[in-house]
Amino acid sequence: MSLAAILIAILSFVLGALLALLTIPVLVWLERRVASLIQDRLGPNRTNVFGFRFGGVVQSFADVVKLLLKEEYYPSHIKTGKWLFMLAPVITFAVALLAFMAIPFADTLHIDGEALRVQALPIDYGVLWYLAIGAIGVLGVIFGGWLSHNKYALLGSARAGSMVISYELPLGLSILAFIITYNTVDFNAMVQWQSGTFFAFLPAWGILVQPIASIILIVSLFAETNRNPFTVAEGESEIVAGFMTEHTAMKFAMYFMGEYIAMNTASAVIITVIFGGYQIPWVSTEMMLQNFSVFAMVLMISVPVIVGLLIKWMRKNNTVRPTVSTDSGRNFETKVLTIALLSMTALIEVILLYLAFFADSSLANSITVMLFQIVVFVVKLMMFNIFFILIRWTVPRFRYDQVQHLGWYYLLPLSLLNLFITALVVVGIT
Amino acid sequence: MKQKITVIPRYGSSFKDKLYLPAIYDGVKVTFKHLFDNVSDINAVDTLEYPEEQPTDITDRYRGLHRLTQRSDDSIACVACFMCATACPSNCIFIEATEREDGHDEKMPKSFFIDTLECVFCGYCVEACPCDAIRMDTGIFSLTGNSREDFVLNKEQLLANKGAFGEENSCARD
Repeated sequence: MSLAAILIAILSFVLGALLALLTIPVLVWLERRVASLIQDRLGPNRTNVFGFRFGGVVQSFADVVKLLLKEEYYPSHIKTGKWLFMLAPVITFAVALLAFMAIPFADTLHIDGEALRVQALPIDYGVLWYLAIGAIGVLGVIFGGWLSHNKYALLGSARAGSMVISYELPLGLSILAFIITYNTVDFNAMVQWQSGTFFAFLPAWGILVQPIASIILIVSLFAETNRNPFTVAEGESEIVAGFMTEHTAMKFAMYFMGEYIAMNTASAVIITVIFGGYQIPWVSTEMMLQNFSVFAMVLMISVPVIVGLLIKWMRKNNTVRPTVSTDSGRNFETKVLTIALLSMTALIEVILLYLAFFADSSLANSITVMLFQIVVFVVKLMMFNIFFILIRWTVPRFRYDQVQHLGWYYLLPLSLLNLFITALVVVGIT
Repeated sequence: MKQKITVIPRYGSSFKDKLYLPAIYDGVKVTFKHLFDNVSDINAVDTLEYPEEQPTDITDRYRGLHRLTQRSDDSIACVACFMCATACPSNCIFIEATEREDGHDEKMPKSFFIDTLECVFCGYCVEACPCDAIRMDTGIFSLTGNSREDFVLNKEQLLANKGAFGEENSCARD
């Protein structure tokens, strides 16, 4: 094992942990801000560290501190299975975290003939790993609800159980359709397949190649992550808080964070399987590596444009209204962030200029491409997370019998039919 | 007899409605429009940034914090008749009467306390007062303090509150 291999392994592991864990506060904040902006409110925008608000994202860290310092309260009526009651949130949390680890953040690096996967877990059976690990998450919900010895919690876990039998089959069958289409169980190979074209001009993304399976996959993953419109297990308007009624402080926070990691994982799976993963449409990794100077030039033009738009937006919106006398340090924050963004852009420009015209190192080129693909992946991930949040604040909740009805009467036959047609077409082509 | 009957069409039976996705698309269009508009101009969101921006739409009928009115010569209008304390449903007015020396009436309050933590801001004291001596037209909607005692207002504090809508003195005593 060479030094590069070790470095890449550490980097991908750190990246996986960061992308899963550090996005929790961002997602909690994003959920609250997006919800409030949809409802014409402002949301949490005041918490700051030395005047730096970053749009209010500091609020999530304050919330975490509050939950950590809260009194740990154990319901005294729970006589049996207390250890499992306390373990249940950890199951949900850990499982969601583990499922994320099979996602590739960039294409496989080739250094000195060694193929290095940019994946927290460098495995080539990622889809199977995701299906196996992801299905355990609901066990935490069921254990937590059942062992609360509380009727609302028991109802919540019964509903969670009813959800599992509604969505697991369509989820598995729709992913099976993708496995047949891409002829692989490796997430990275799936992304590579999608970097080609389809009908000569369309990007060969899963959503265009397999539209029905894509919709079934998205719907089932919404159900798997317990997000609206499938929050029946929580059902706060009918059964208090469902399975987490008796969980307090950090136990509740584990469920809460597990839900957001699960959402993040589902977004990552969706973009990897059907939205081309870390690739931008029409451009494969080989194309970027072969025409590196062109790629660097395009990047050198587009990065300042994007940063300029960002700064323009920030200067317009990181202000207070004219009627408010104090600006609470927002002008200072805007100034510092503008300088930081501009100097970062200048640094990127200089590095790209050097790589494109003066250096001739294939290693540096492939690392640049890798970093670019990671950025693309994160942007896509965040866009799909916002889509998850947007759906939550748009669609009302289903009843749990409606979910079962949807799963068994519509999604299951549809996915079976789609699987049949897919198999016919694939056999016909080959 | 001609009956006006409006037939409301039932939705949900057509194929498009059963498909459910077009309806979700329409809903997402609405929510995304709100999100996009507000993100592109966040200061146009129609909310009050409260502590910095104060409400400007408090009407003169708003029942704010109480005050005691004065006569034209700055003496207290109250004659300590206990009508307000009697009318009070939450028993939060405490009056102690004393003899009056300034030549207007016979009695005046020696002490006048309102426990605003008990008060329900119903305005019955204002209705009951025969001298127009207690009013709730200060327009003050927030009272802050560090202890329970800070919320028990005495006579001097109540006299110091000024009317926010033009009328300063009592209209029944001069």
